[in-house]
Amino acid sequence: MTSERPLKDATGFTGRSSVNALQASPYAVEATDLSFSYGRGQHVLRSMDFAAPQGQITMVIGASGSGKTTLLKLVKGLLPLQEGRMTVLRKTYDSPGENRHITSEIAYIPQHLGLVRSLTVLQNALTGALGRLGLPYSLFGGFPHALIQEAKDRLTRIGLGEKIEEKVYNLSGGERQRVAIIRARMQNPRLILADEFVSQLDTVTTTTIMDALREQTRNDGVTYIQTTHELDLVLRFADRVSVISSGKVVLEAEGGAVDRQTLSEAIRS
Amino acid sequence: MNRRVLRGRLFILALGVALIYSLAGVGLLDAQKLARGLGNIALFSSDLFPPDAGVITTVAPAMVETLQIALVGTFIGTVVAMPLALLAMPILTNSAVAPGVRLVLAFIRTIPALLWGVLFVVAFGLGPAAGATGIGLYSAGYLGKLFYELLEGVDPEVVEAVRSVGCSRLQLARYALLPEAANGLLAQLLFMFEYNVRASSIMGFVGAGGIGYYMLGYIQLLRYDALLTAVLITLLVVIVIDWLSIRIRGAFLLHDA
Ligand SMILES: Nc1ncnc2c1ncn2[C@@H]1O[C@H](COP(=O)(O)OP(=O)(O)OP(=O)(O)O)[C@@H](O)[C@H]1O
Ligand SMILES: [Mg+2]
Repeated sequence: MTSERPLKDATGFTGRSSVNALQASPYAVEATDLSFSYGRGQHVLRSMDFAAPQGQITMVIGASGSGKTTLLKLVKGLLPLQEGRMTVLRKTYDSPGENRHITSEIAYIPQHLGLVRSLTVLQNALTGALGRLGLPYSLFGGFPHALIQEAKDRLTRIGLGEKIEEKVYNLSGGERQRVAIIRARMQNPRLILADEFVSQLDTVTTTTIMDALREQTRNDGVTYIQTTHELDLVLRFADRVSVISSGKVVLEAEGGAVDRQTLSEAIRS
Repeated sequence: MNRRVLRGRLFILALGVALIYSLAGVGLLDAQKLARGLGNIALFSSDLFPPDAGVITTVAPAMVETLQIALVGTFIGTVVAMPLALLAMPILTNSAVAPGVRLVLAFIRTIPALLWGVLFVVAFGLGPAAGATGIGLYSAGYLGKLFYELLEGVDPEVVEAVRSVGCSRLQLARYALLPEAANGLLAQLLFMFEYNVRASSIMGFVGAGGIGYYMLGYIQLLRYDALLTAVLITLLVVIVIDWLSIRIRGAFLLHDA
């Protein structure tokens, strides 16, 4: 069944909040009335209501320029909150700029991955663990043995065992994406934000990665939010989907319960 | 004629007037003076040849000293410039410290290397120590600016991605900014060394060591044939160093993706 929640009722509260009031915060991210503009220009997000359930894969789909990247950066704290209210991992922010602190609990994979190309696969993966590490240790290039082993194991499991000492600029696009996901996992995050992730991967690799992610969300309660403009990805892997169009969420649904037609109409709305 | 074309022509006219005024100002519109100058150059040129090979034993060690000044100067410059460049990054310090550091670097650059040389002759006395420290300070000002511009040029997505893991500022520098900028840093360093070899060869003019001391001496003694030997040796060394530098850059920057 499709659970299109009312975007906002007459009292200004979202319907969802009252329904779920008894459970212990079922949402990892919950934003109400979120508005954002870059400088003088038009608003990129316009009174957006967005929610991502704890321990699920939420996909945000929308046309180019609809505000997907902006939403993720606000959640991560890379852009300052301007208007509206946002609860991320149980911390509530409701005054401008209050969200601007960076924590290792939230992993962020930018649209072009943001890997350090002149470092090796292993070094990039270890970068993810910097937040868990004392300063003197990491500055002189030394990572604890246990962390190195952990990174190697994870890289091997995702099929990069042979490439551990390779510099990132020698990798293919798909291999780079796998390095990025391992860097994110090395943070031991409770929330992963991935911008346009697993686009340009072949279907076998996509399936492997998404299945692994789904397992992680189920087992460890990690929440995964991904933006995309590929309908297939949503239909196959999303537990939940939010369609955004010119800075507003125009449709929310459970992944299995929505059809291609409805989605593409919402994207174009 | 529309206004843009008119403005363009007025600009060219103004430029022409300024040029003629300046030519007169420096004395190059004076036909007599020009003729005398050109005649002297011809005389001087004939005195240059043939170069005096006898001074090689004096000039070659002075050239080695010039290279030492350039190398030590570049080293001092790098060691001073690196931390300053990091401090000049608002993302690593804050919006008060960074502009202050940039101002200091700009101040160091406004004073030419030769003048720093003079100042350090006062401090260290005549000789290459003054040249090396003078070159070093000037390089610090220059490299500091080149370095922070490279660090600023690092792909903002890489900075955001690494910052997002929740690391400290020093870790951000160590694991994102410096490795991403490494190729560029090396290229600027080589460029600075090349530049410093040239700058060091005139440090001797103010008594701060190197081959320039002999060049100035030969000019004053009218020993133009000996001067030519010194100039040719400098030229040779500069060419070899430029060539080496291209080779080194090629070897290191091959993989720049
Ligand atoms: N730094 C910026 N300064 C000014 N405008 C920006 C900036 N970043 C994005 N925008 C604008 O904000 C709007 C939304 O951008 P955003 O990157 O969030 O879209 P998107 O949904 O991620 O698009 P895409 O699918 O192309 O990545 C666009 O119109 C874009 O031009
Ligand atoms: Mg985007």
